Amino acid sequence: MFALLKRDLYLALYSSSSFFYTSSFFVLILIILPFLFGTNDVQLQILFKGIIWIGLSLSILLTMERIFNADYEDGNLDIILQQNPSIEIVIISKYITHWIVYCLPLFIVLPMLSFLFYVSLDNIFLIFLNLFFGSFGMVFIVTFVSALTLGAKRTIFLKAIIVIPLFIPFLIFGTNLESWPILLALSMMSFVLSMYVSAYGLRLYVE
Amino acid sequence: MNLRLTNKQINIIEKANPFLIVSTIVAFTFGLYFSLLQSPPDYIQGDSMRIMYIHVPSAWFALMAYTILAGSSVLWFITRNPIFSIIARSIAQIGMIFTLISLVTGSIWGKPTWGVWWVWDARLTSMLLLFFLYLAYIFLWQSITNKDLASKISAALAIVGFVNIPIIKFSVDWWNTLHQPATISKLSSPSIDISMMVPLFIMTLATFLFLVTVFFIRLRIEILDNKILRIREVK
Amino acid sequence: MNELKIEDLTCYRGDNLVLKDLNTKLKSGDSLVIRGSNGSGKTTLLRVLSNFIKSYNGKILFNDHNVLEDANYRNCFNFVGQKNSLKDNLSVKNNLKLWEIVYKKNIPYSKLLDDFNISHLMERDVASLSDGQKKCISLLRLNFTESKIWYLDEPFVFLDEENSQILIEKIKNFNNNNGIVIITSNINLHNTFTNEINI
Repeated sequence: MFALLKRDLYLALYSSSSFFYTSSFFVLILIILPFLFGTNDVQLQILFKGIIWIGLSLSILLTMERIFNADYEDGNLDIILQQNPSIEIVIISKYITHWIVYCLPLFIVLPMLSFLFYVSLDNIFLIFLNLFFGSFGMVFIVTFVSALTLGAKRTIFLKAIIVIPLFIPFLIFGTNLESWPILLALSMMSFVLSMYVSAYGLRLYVE
Repeated sequence: MNLRLTNKQINIIEKANPFLIVSTIVAFTFGLYFSLLQSPPDYIQGDSMRIMYIHVPSAWFALMAYTILAGSSVLWFITRNPIFSIIARSIAQIGMIFTLISLVTGSIWGKPTWGVWWVWDARLTSMLLLFFLYLAYIFLWQSITNKDLASKISAALAIVGFVNIPIIKFSVDWWNTLHQPATISKLSSPSIDISMMVPLFIMTLATFLFLVTVFFIRLRIEILDNKILRIREVK
Repeated sequence: MNELKIEDLTCYRGDNLVLKDLNTKLKSGDSLVIRGSNGSGKTTLLRVLSNFIKSYNGKILFNDHNVLEDANYRNCFNFVGQKNSLKDNLSVKNNLKLWEIVYKKNIPYSKLLDDFNISHLMERDVASLSDGQKKCISLLRLNFTESKIWYLDEPFVFLDEENSQILIEKIKNFNNNNGIVIITSNINLHNTFTNEINI
């Protein structure tokens, strides 16, 4: 498992999806806010809570083809599945990499963003908790959708149509500051679902 | 592509068709007569509420269709009988159209009632999301060229969607209680008068017959599609 | 001494019968060329043998253990498919590094590329290489495992005369070290290898 984790992290590093890029992406997504809606601090605080989830969703969604599709198309998935006896471990390792590469940078830039958008430290802690528990569930969801759509014609739009309705519960509870336990519950449910469905999809496609 | 339908099953599907079409027409004639001419107009909403006789049945069947879609996908997993895969695909398109009808009629109904074409009501929003669940299912099926694989994959997605419907419904309801604008009164009729129940019942029956008719036609199309695929594969 | 035995192998893909009643037995040092036209099931056979496809009738035995139940079997073979398993946007060196991690084996890269006389390609991006060069690099995966069987799917496609010869030498060398090789090919290898079956 650690070998695969290491390999995927190296791959992300080599293909310039390093922390710097992803965190810049988050910062830029949020920086468009004042340009769109002005600099009224109350309004910015409200919008911040929403846009940060859009940023997270986009970061997870737009890169979902890197979870399985790229490896499937160039044949590396065959090697990975041959070298790892358990398909479940492959899936869990993919969750962790995707989270580290495309979600973790958000948490690093979050404190800085809170200064830019006048969010108080108490609130930023609650936002942090929400994002933390929610992001896992969202990664679980894109992983199984990625496994299901391996053989589909390469369209990120199709995947977005499948994924976004499944994201909506996360977004609804995510913007409410007290609902991190619900997000945790949602994430755990998606974990169970995702394990089964991803394994099912992968097995079908490597045949 | 597997197709192990017996000739008997195909016969039933083909013979039932004229009978179904006739009974649908009869039921709609009665239903429209009762709902448009016999029943009284609503004392607040006037004649505009008559669209309910289309809106409510189509919303019910939109939900029922997804249940059938998920149910037949589960049965497909258990039995691996291709008929369930065909049923799932046929019902998906019908369900999507019913969802669309209920959204459009709801919107038309909303204009005179609420003064706007759309309100972010919990039920409407959930229906909108249901529409996209159907869309995702159909798109996924279409985008996988290997149809044998496509039926396996989309069956899994149907079940995932079904598991998610209660979660989506729950979260949308919860969201709605937070954001409910005070000016818009909820669409809740405490009791439906018996004079409206009769036409609603007949229209529901008519809509159901319509659904079955279209479903059987779709089944035949899917079966023919399958045959074409098979002939191509053999060549 | 290793032995790979295929007994009455029959495999369906969808409703199509792809492999029918295949029987063969290979011992250490044997090589087998599978010939057949496009779509005749050569790749399917290799994917069955590599345990990717698990639903088939008949038995595949490696040293008298059914490969579906033998947990150790996955370490015994190396499968090089028609896909190159290379990341186009990375350099050759980075690609080798990724393989090294996945295969959990350290290998001196520069020596590796000498096999096919392509050591000058080390820093190049894979996207800028020719199909033949990519194929050579993809075949280098054979050096990453100490396997007893090689499954090579169309290894000679895109290779020029010189590199084909190098590959043949590599295979013969592996044979001499008690390895079993199964190669699929739709071209005639002019009886380079002893065993040949048509499917």
